[in-house]
Amino acid sequence: MAMRSIYRGLRRNDLRFKEVREDEKSQMVGNVFTSVASSYDVMNDLMSGGLHRLWKERLVSKLNPFPGMKHLDVAGGTGDVGFRIFDSIHSVAHRAVRDGHDDNLLGETQIFVCDINPNMLRVGRKRAEDRGLGDNKSLVWVEGDAEKLTFGDATMDGYTIAFGIRNVTHIEKALAEAYRVLKPGGRFLCLGLSHVELPIFKDLYDYYSFAVIPKVGELVAGDRESYQYLVESIRRFPKQERFATMIEEAGFQKVEYENLVGGVVAIHSGLKF
Amino acid sequence: MVRRSGVLLKKVAAGISSRLAEILVCPLTKQPLRMCDKTNSLISDSIGVSYPIVDGIPRLVPSDGIILHSDQDLNSSDPPQTNSS
Repeated sequence: MAMRSIYRGLRRNDLRFKEVREDEKSQMVGNVFTSVASSYDVMNDLMSGGLHRLWKERLVSKLNPFPGMKHLDVAGGTGDVGFRIFDSIHSVAHRAVRDGHDDNLLGETQIFVCDINPNMLRVGRKRAEDRGLGDNKSLVWVEGDAEKLTFGDATMDGYTIAFGIRNVTHIEKALAEAYRVLKPGGRFLCLGLSHVELPIFKDLYDYYSFAVIPKVGELVAGDRESYQYLVESIRRFPKQERFATMIEEAGFQKVEYENLVGGVVAIHSGLKF
Repeated sequence: MVRRSGVLLKKVAAGISSRLAEILVCPLTKQPLRMCDKTNSLISDSIGVSYPIVDGIPRLVPSDGIILHSDQDLNSSDPPQTNSS
């Protein structure tokens, strides 16, 4: 009985996706994130029931950071992933035998947090200051475009992009840039909202996405449109297999993906040889 | 007590920036950048564009670049011009 009424609700819902022209997309993305920047972290907790933290932990654990690494986190504005990588490196170092070499390596660690939106970066930098990491040379905040990165060829040991690839207008360009900046042996990891195929769960997820999320966005962030855009951009993004193929086409090898929560989230990874 | 005077922040920003000039490249040409302390920006000599550093965060999105004209100093009152991308 309850399922039938949810079904009817879904069909009645206007699922018209707003058609977005390419040239409009980056402007629209810019506006979305300027608008949501201050409530971004709170909204993430609300929308995912706090799960986004576990997903990011999983991403960082797959990355397996090491002291002295040069890492690039793209679309990482508020620093969630950047801080986790920083903490992970500093905790591993504590466990290792302390000698002069290790301390030097620690100091050589560089985590670049790159985002196209200055407001998101500002929130991230404020968080760093609040943690006492404002002057720490290992965390570097840079405003940049995922499709035209400001880093030299083969300079990075790791590249992550968490919940950001769907906002990029030309995914192939972002993947090509990721490949360019990674050193041989470097790893690419992408954490993103993906597609659910499981029969009943899919419908529940659709209902949650289209009816609940924009409403919460309206109530908490005061911005229904941005969260409507968010949900639509998730549906428009290529499915897991297709995205994996795109990563291979960019030159990566050993491309794999791991579904979390039935495909609500997927972590794609690849290696540059 | 954390000192948040403008002087302290500026010092930190300058220190970070000179290091950045060694690591970062022009997002359009991928050529090296040069730090310009006077205007607090990173200059891409290959295409004559300057990227500002605001609050210690370098703005290296191509559309943030300001085209430098050959015999004129970078004037902060100049309107930013966008590069075709």
